[in-house]
Amino acid sequence: MFKKSGLRSINYRSVVRLLAYLLLFEAIFMLVPLGVSLYYGESDYYAFVTGILLTLLVSGFILTSVRGGLRDMGKREGYLLTSLVWVVFSVFGMVPFIVSSSPGLGFTDAFCETMSGFTTTGCSVLEDVEQLSHGIHMWRCLMQWIGGLGIMIFTLAVLPMLNSSGGMQMMNAELPGITKEKLSPRVSQTAKRLWMIYLLLTVLLAILLCLGPMSLFDGICHALSTMSTGGFSTHNDSIGAWNSWYVRLVVLIFMFIGGVNFALIYKASVGRFRISWSDETFRMYVRLIAVVTLILVIGYIVNSHPRWSVGVIVDPLFQVVSTVTSTGFSVTDYQSWGAFVFPILLGLMFVGASAGSTSGGCKLDRIIFLFKNCRNEINKCIHPNRVFSVSINGRVQSPELVSKVMAFLWLYMGLIIIGAMMLVLMGMPISDSLFASLSCVGNTGLGAGVTADSFASVPDAGKWMLSFLMLVGRLEIFTVLVLLSRGFWHK
Amino acid sequence: MRIVIAGAGEVGSHLAKLLSREEQDIVVVDDDARKLAMLDANYNLMTCVGSPVSFRTLRDAGVHEADLFIAVTPFEDRNVTSCSIANFLGARRSVARIDNYEFMKSENKSFFTGIGVNDVIYPEYLAAQEIRTALKRGWARNWFELNNGEIILIGVKVRENTGIVGHQLRELTMSHHNFHVSAIKRRRDTIIPRGDDVIMANDIVYFTTTSQHVEDIRKLCNKVSYKVRRVMIMGGSRIAVRLASMASDDWSIKIIESNPERCRRLPELCPDCEVINADGRDTDVLIDEGITETDAFIALTDSSETNILACLTAKEYGVSKTIAEVENIQLIYQAEGLNIGTIINKKLLASSKIFQVLLDSDTGSSKFLSLADAEVAELEVREGSRITRHPVKDLDLSRDVTLGGLVRNGRGMLITGNTVFEPGDKVVVFCLSGLIHKVEKLFN
Repeated sequence: MFKKSGLRSINYRSVVRLLAYLLLFEAIFMLVPLGVSLYYGESDYYAFVTGILLTLLVSGFILTSVRGGLRDMGKREGYLLTSLVWVVFSVFGMVPFIVSSSPGLGFTDAFCETMSGFTTTGCSVLEDVEQLSHGIHMWRCLMQWIGGLGIMIFTLAVLPMLNSSGGMQMMNAELPGITKEKLSPRVSQTAKRLWMIYLLLTVLLAILLCLGPMSLFDGICHALSTMSTGGFSTHNDSIGAWNSWYVRLVVLIFMFIGGVNFALIYKASVGRFRISWSDETFRMYVRLIAVVTLILVIGYIVNSHPRWSVGVIVDPLFQVVSTVTSTGFSVTDYQSWGAFVFPILLGLMFVGASAGSTSGGCKLDRIIFLFKNCRNEINKCIHPNRVFSVSINGRVQSPELVSKVMAFLWLYMGLIIIGAMMLVLMGMPISDSLFASLSCVGNTGLGAGVTADSFASVPDAGKWMLSFLMLVGRLEIFTVLVLLSRGFWHK
Repeated sequence: MRIVIAGAGEVGSHLAKLLSREEQDIVVVDDDARKLAMLDANYNLMTCVGSPVSFRTLRDAGVHEADLFIAVTPFEDRNVTSCSIANFLGARRSVARIDNYEFMKSENKSFFTGIGVNDVIYPEYLAAQEIRTALKRGWARNWFELNNGEIILIGVKVRENTGIVGHQLRELTMSHHNFHVSAIKRRRDTIIPRGDDVIMANDIVYFTTTSQHVEDIRKLCNKVSYKVRRVMIMGGSRIAVRLASMASDDWSIKIIESNPERCRRLPELCPDCEVINADGRDTDVLIDEGITETDAFIALTDSSETNILACLTAKEYGVSKTIAEVENIQLIYQAEGLNIGTIINKKLLASSKIFQVLLDSDTGSSKFLSLADAEVAELEVREGSRITRHPVKDLDLSRDVTLGGLVRNGRGMLITGNTVFEPGDKVVVFCLSGLIHKVEKLFN
C-alpha cells in the first residue's frame, strides 16, 4: 500500500489557504487609502471600509474552514498560486471602484482598471481622473506599487513559511527575465533585498518630488506609480500638468532606474559598480535610449521647427524613457512631432527595458538573444562549419535557453496579433487595436486613436480580453499559459 | 549559516538539498552549468558556475563569508586545493572529500590543517566501516553509536517468531526497563511510537539503549549472533579494496570481479584475498566458489539493481547476511522492503558525516541521522530551558516527538517518565521530518 497523498495532482488546500493569507495583506494595504480618505474628510471612505471588510470576511472564512498544511508546495502549486493571486487581488481590489460614488464603475470597468493597476499597465477606463477622490487616487497608485515588483515577491519577503523550494517556484513564476539571478541563497532574503531597494528608491523619489512644486499627496502618488513604471497619475495631463523641468527630470531619472535590472542596482548599492556598469543589457539599454532619442529630436526639429529650449531634448527623451520602461507618462502631445513617432514608440513598447526590473515589454535581454541568434544563423550560411554561440556577458548561453527565448517571442507576438484581431472584430480601427493590444501585453498603457485618452470606448468583451492580456504579459506568458495546458492538471 | 559546496555531483547535490531544507544558506559551485541549472531551478539555494579551484569563482560564491566549505568534486586533489583556497579566502572551516587512505592518517593531519583543510571525508572508507560494523553484529539492521558508544541505536527487523510482536509498547516497558523503542519503520512509513502502538511482524524497530543492554535486545528479538568467517564480495570497487585492507585478518574474502583489467590490479591492492574473474550474476560461478558455505555476501558493483538482485540470489543459497550497495536513493525504499540485510549508500554516509562536522562546529544544526522520513538529533539542554522545568511525563511533548536517551557527564542513561533534565545533558531526540525546529525551542 502506498500513501495516496503522494499521487494526487495539485495541493489545492495549500493554494487556497495561502491565497487567504495574501488577502489579509491586501486588506492591510487598503488601510492606506482609507487613512487618506479619512484625513481629507472625504465621503467615500466607506468604499474602502467595504473593501477591507469583504476581503477580511472571505479570508477569515477560508482560514477557518480550510484546514491543511502549507507544505508540499511544488511547481504546479507555484504557477497556480502566482496566476490566481493576481486575479484574486484584482477582484477584491476593484471593490472600492464599484462602491465609491466618484468613479462608480461597473463590474467590467472596475476589473479592467484594477488589473491595469496591479500589472502596472496604467491604462485607464476613466475619462477624467481629476474628479476622483484622494483615497481612490492613492489606491490606484498603491496598486501599481504593489504590482510593480510583484505580489508574490512581497509575500516571499514577509511570510517565513514560503522560504522553501515552493517559494522559489513562485519567485520564478513572477519575476520577469530569462534566467533568474538570486541575490542570496535563501529565497526570502533575495525577496527582502529586492523590496528594500524598491522601498528606498520610492521613498527617495517621493522626497525629491515633494521638494519640487508637487504637493505631498501628488508626490507620494507619483513616486508610487513612477517607481513601479505603472503610469497612473492624479491629473489628466499626467506629468505635463506640472510645467516644471525639475519634476520632469526627477521622474525621468527614476523611470530610467525602474527599467534597470534590480539585481544590478543591488550590486551597485553594495559597491560592485563595475559589474553593473559592464552588464551587456544595461549598456544596450542606455544605448537604445540614446539612439532613439536622437532620432526623435532630429525628427522633431525637422518636422515642426520648434523654438530652441531644453524641451527640445528633454521632451523626446522623457517620452522615450517613459515608453521603453512601460511607464506610459506623457508630457506633451507627442503625435504633433510627426507621423514617424508612432512606429518608433510601437517598437519601444515591444522591446521594453531590462529583465528583472519593474518594466514591461518583452524585455531587452530577449531582444539581444534574438539579434545574436539571427546574426549567427546568417553567418552560418557562409561559414557552415564555424561554431557560433549566443553569449551574454561573456558567458555562452545554452541552445535550450535560446530556444526558450525564441518560443517566448513567438508567443508574445502571437498574443499581440490575436488580441489586436479580436479588437478589430469588436469594431475598433485596426491600427488602434494593434496599439492597444501591444500596450496591454507589454504593460505600457499608452493608447492611440480611440484609446488615446482612455480605454473607456473599448467594448466590454474587449476590456476582459485586454485584462487577460495584461496578466499574461505581466507574468511573462508561460506562467499563465501553462495553466491552460492539459499536462498541468493531470500527473 | 552560510555553507558553500563545491561540486554538484551526487554527494554534493544530495547535501545541498538536505542542508537547504535545514534552512541553511547554501551556495553550490560547479563548472558544469547543466548540473547546476536543475538545482537552481528547484531548490532554495544559490548556484555559481565556475571552477571550484578558481579564486574568482570562489570569491563570487561568497566563500569569505562562509562558515563551512565542503569540497566534494570527484577529484581529491581538486578538493584539497579548493579547500585550501577557500581557507585562504576566509572560510571558517573546510571539509574535503578524499579517496586516499593516507590522507586520513592522524600523523598527516597537521599537514592538512597547515594548508587549510580542517576535515576530510572518505565515503568509501565510511562505507567499508559501515559494512564491517554490520557484519560484526549481523543480527541488527542498523547500528549507530552516539557519544563514543555511550548510547547505542539499534534497528532490528522483527519476525513473527519474536516475543514482542503483537504487544503494545506500554506492556513492553512494564517488563523491560533497559531500552527505549524510539521509532518503528513499517513499510514506507516511519512511526514515532507512543505507549499504545503495537509492534507488528516485519517492522524495523529502533531501540535506544546503553552498551550493557545490547545482548538483552538481541535475545528479546530472538536473533542469533553468528560469527562471520567467509565473505564473498561481488564487484572489486574501491569500497571492496578498503574493506579488504581493513578486515582481511578477521575474514577470508573472495572478490568476484568481471573486468579482467581490474582483476589484474586487485591482488596487488588486497593481497590476502582470493580474486575471481567472473560475472557475479552467474549462479554456476557462485556455486563453484562456494556460495552455500559463505556467511556473508556483499554486492558492491556500480549498478544498484544488480546488487539488489545478487543479494536476493545469495539469500536463496542460504547466506545469512547480505549487504547491498544502493546508490539510487529512490531504490533504497524498495530494497529495504525486500529481504536484504543492510543497505549501503555512500551519499547518505557522506552527508551524515558532514552533519557531524556541522554539529562539531556548534551551530543551530544538530541533526545527525535521517531515517526515511524521521530525524534523529542530539540536543544539548541549555540553562533555564523549558525542558528542565518538569519531569518528562509532564512535559506535554508533541505526538511526533520522542526522547530516546541522554548523556550526562559523559555517561549514557535511559529516560523514564520521572527523568528531570539538567543543563548540559545531551538528549537524543527522534521526530518526524521537519519538526526539529519545534523541538529545539524546548531546549533553548
